Amino acid sequence: MTTALIFLPVAGALVVWLLPLRPFAVASTAFLIALAEVALWIDTLARFDFSKPGLQLEQQQSWFSDLHVSYHVGLYGFSLWLVGMSVVVLAAATGYAFWAGRERPRAYYGLMLLLTGAIVGVFVAQDLLLFYVFWEAMLVPLYFLVGVWGGAGRLRATLLFVIYTMAGSLLMLASIIVLGLSQGTFDLVHSGTNGSDWIFLGFAAAFAVKAPIWPLHAWLPETYRESSAEVSAVLSGVVSKAAAYGFLRIAIAKFPGPTSDFRTPILVLAACGLVYGSLLAFRAPDLRGVIAYSSLAQMGLITLGLFAVNPLGLNGAVLQMVNHGLISASLFLLAGAVERRAATGDLDALGGMARGRPALATVLMATGVIALAVPGSSAFAGEFAILAGVFTTGWGYAVVGAAAMVFAAMYMLRLISAVLHRSPGRAVTDAALDLRPAELGIIVPLVLCLLVLSAWPAAITERSFPTGRTLVELAGSR
Amino acid sequence: MIAAAWVCLISPLVATALITVGGNRLSRRGAGFLATLSVFVSFVASLVAFAGLLGDPPAQRYHPSTLWSWLTAGNLDFGLRIVVDPLSLMMMLIVSGVGMLIVLYSIGYMDGDDEERRYFAYMALFVFSMLLLVQGGNLLMLLVGWGLVGLSSYLLIGFWHQRPEAVAAAKKAFVMNAIGDATMALALFLLIAKTGSLNFEQVFTAAPSFSNWTANLVALGLLGGAVAKSAQLPLQTWLPDAMEGPTPVSALIHAATMVTAGVYLIVRTAPLFEQAPKVLELAAGLGAATLLLAGLIALVQVDIKKVIAYSTMSQIGYMFLGAGIGAYPNAMFHLMTHAFFKALLFLAAGIVIHALAAEQDIRKMGGLRKLMPLTFVAFLVGSLSLAGIPPFSGFFSKDSILAALLANGWYGEILWVVGMLGTFLTGLYAFRLLFLVFWGEPSPFVREHFHALRRDLPGLTLAIPVGVLTVLAAVGGFLQFADVWTPVTNWLEPVARPLVEASGTQETVSSVIAVVLGAGGIGVAWLLYGARTSEVPRVAWAQTLLERKFYFDEAYDFAFYRPAVWVAQALARWIERPLVFGSVRELAAGIGLVGRDTSRIQTGLVRTYALAIAASVAVVTVVFVAVR
Repeated sequence: MTTALIFLPVAGALVVWLLPLRPFAVASTAFLIALAEVALWIDTLARFDFSKPGLQLEQQQSWFSDLHVSYHVGLYGFSLWLVGMSVVVLAAATGYAFWAGRERPRAYYGLMLLLTGAIVGVFVAQDLLLFYVFWEAMLVPLYFLVGVWGGAGRLRATLLFVIYTMAGSLLMLASIIVLGLSQGTFDLVHSGTNGSDWIFLGFAAAFAVKAPIWPLHAWLPETYRESSAEVSAVLSGVVSKAAAYGFLRIAIAKFPGPTSDFRTPILVLAACGLVYGSLLAFRAPDLRGVIAYSSLAQMGLITLGLFAVNPLGLNGAVLQMVNHGLISASLFLLAGAVERRAATGDLDALGGMARGRPALATVLMATGVIALAVPGSSAFAGEFAILAGVFTTGWGYAVVGAAAMVFAAMYMLRLISAVLHRSPGRAVTDAALDLRPAELGIIVPLVLCLLVLSAWPAAITERSFPTGRTLVELAGSR
Repeated sequence: MIAAAWVCLISPLVATALITVGGNRLSRRGAGFLATLSVFVSFVASLVAFAGLLGDPPAQRYHPSTLWSWLTAGNLDFGLRIVVDPLSLMMMLIVSGVGMLIVLYSIGYMDGDDEERRYFAYMALFVFSMLLLVQGGNLLMLLVGWGLVGLSSYLLIGFWHQRPEAVAAAKKAFVMNAIGDATMALALFLLIAKTGSLNFEQVFTAAPSFSNWTANLVALGLLGGAVAKSAQLPLQTWLPDAMEGPTPVSALIHAATMVTAGVYLIVRTAPLFEQAPKVLELAAGLGAATLLLAGLIALVQVDIKKVIAYSTMSQIGYMFLGAGIGAYPNAMFHLMTHAFFKALLFLAAGIVIHALAAEQDIRKMGGLRKLMPLTFVAFLVGSLSLAGIPPFSGFFSKDSILAALLANGWYGEILWVVGMLGTFLTGLYAFRLLFLVFWGEPSPFVREHFHALRRDLPGLTLAIPVGVLTVLAAVGGFLQFADVWTPVTNWLEPVARPLVEASGTQETVSSVIAVVLGAGGIGVAWLLYGARTSEVPRVAWAQTLLERKFYFDEAYDFAFYRPAVWVAQALARWIERPLVFGSVRELAAGIGLVGRDTSRIQTGLVRTYALAIAASVAVVTVVFVAVR
């Protein structure tokens, strides 16, 4: 089951690459596979027993038996939700590419599907080397997707993105090798905890770059601006969550000692990122800039929750990972839709789009107010739990977080007004249509997911760490 | 009874969803009637719940109900929970009752607007949010309702989104309220850390064991939310700007219901506030300061809605006075009568605005008494009630707060003096408005632009709510007459037992003085604006000070907004740019250098590469193993 989740999209990628299909057929095949992946996830959800502790839907196959490396995959409650969020966002992204039309479709959709498989792999791998393989497999399609299909400044963006993440990954690889050799196994479930600060830092570096944690975000603004909308959606919505997942599954679970040693500096950096991202989002001149920096801020918030290392913080962080994945994807896709119509994302040149475009106005407004975590939204539930959790670690972090709630209102309302309100900006003509049914069909499901979660955030918080002892389980048996 | 309470809560939300999804399939007027109907259902459901609660013995009038767990973590569980008790029920009746009238009125007022459906969807969303606020059975649900009313207020203030002023006012209101939300959230975090729950029962039971610090911080956090929502000092500046929204919105949200939520919050969480008496005194002090400040500013306003907006701030100041000294039933009673007469004033003002082609400047008005006598009567009843003239409703409720102040020591006596000054100001500004708008001969502007209310369906939907509210504002005060009969106090007894009660003498003395001062204010207004026998005194600096609203906007802009912008720009310029561009430059240079050297080892042989990779990993590994 879990294996199918990984290899369905990979097989799809091969189909798209190998079969001589026409462009339209390629795109529709890819979209159908992405939808099939969502269906497969729903089936997995139905099979998952939330009342049971431990790893579920597990599969293990020896790989390098001498080194005790195995193909070992399986799901915990929280990884199930992250996989679900990822496949939904990737389906939306694929659908959006289908609608917008991309050049060289066979390569493009093949890479998208490969990326899907790699991301799912990261969330389900229970062996360090396997995790690393998927982690790097994520980078390859992204490298091409940003570097080939991006905007004018794509090369510089790709360079920054790749160099930064490669540097992080290499440190992680070294950590993995040392950890695996010293423990005698690379298995995540059957190995115990470790007290080495250096190994911990190697992992933390990789995750901190990918998340990103302030101030390792130099690659972020350029990459999010230069990629096509759906790739930015995937990058900020899903790929950043792989990093947060890494913190949770490996850095925190396997290194309790170093985690508490480095907790204060990490929390401080996360809080800095939260404020810094919010302030930069408040002054960013363009749509993508606002969303990009708000992503930085949100990753800071999620990190705060994770390193609170208590039930409120961890549950809140998982909930917020799912929320932010959906929110960020919706926002980037909406930004793409606006940019298609106005040929620019400059906030100065936009405005007045609410008039005569009720669908765009409603969807953007709904996403925007959820993004600013209006009380009652799922994002509020996540933020509330995170800050309540980190409050017991240090009330100062919660105060910073509460201030960031106000900043979030400021930058999101600025974005909403700049696009929708006042008289039409110079780039907005009457020819700019309302959202088309296809676009609605892609974005509205994401917003609906958010609305359902707003009514019932406990759907995730009750089912992420079902026994409440998951961290102990994650730490391993030895 | 619980089922009725849930129906009451959900009904407007259903209307919102139907109108949003229905879109063009629903006629504009249909959307209006659907919204009205949904709030009517809420009102009926509240009545049913009221009847149910009456059947219980007073001590057992407390019925929580949880639909499902909303947010959980470990052993913490915050449910989607409501509570039906005398306090929440009183608010449910006010919100759904007044709300129903105002939504009905909106059908006429918004008739012909471009986006009526959106308006009614927002209005229904507001009523849902407000009901959630007052019914919320734990502090988290209260905070959710609290935030959602802020959202609906934002949406409705900015309803005419092509007007830059409306958009700016909407954003300002939201951000100011977000500050209050944030301080409330912090208070909640502290409560979670101390008690592990947010349910009222658990939190209130644990409250007496709080340390001084905890009690004070919790109360301060909640007070922050209360002053933001109720537009009290120091977070008052958003309310006058909020008048950019349609007039029925001002009546419902910015007069009758949402802005009084701060008072509800203090009464609801009284057991927490009572552990922090200094913070309660602070609340009363802020109320007193606000009522005076707003009363003064109202004297120079020239926009009909802004005068009423400042009077709202001022009246909520009285409620804060009452709640702050522990006279909870008096504050709640004033909240109720204020909802009647202030909604009435706004709706009557709406009819005036409607009749004068959207003009709101009172300097252009005058003489409307002869052209619209019924509206004049309604406005007069509202103004008399506001000024606290017997037997209109404001007299009973405001005077009972003032009298209670006398029973509260020297601090209460100081506040009493301030409240009395406020009474004079109230009479003055209320009747300045009335005389300027309705007295004298019709002005040239009025003669040119006036058109009477049509006697068709939209006209009728305007007239009926105003009529009903006129009656309520006129007689609503008789519900409670301090010392003689006190049904409101008795009804709220199980939830909010008052800390102070005025003696009969205090009631009498206070009432007489208040009525004399209120009538004095009216008299002065008559001399200056009605009979115009004396000139309005002009003091240039005072005039400017009041017109600039004591320079709060400027001060906040200077102290908060500009520094935030400045810091953001400095970060972008001095940190972000060097970080991003520095990375690019360094990387490019580094790669160029490395590339030149490494081009020599680019042999094209895969085994060399493999060896190199393996070797480097090995080196890194050794380093790691060595330094462990």
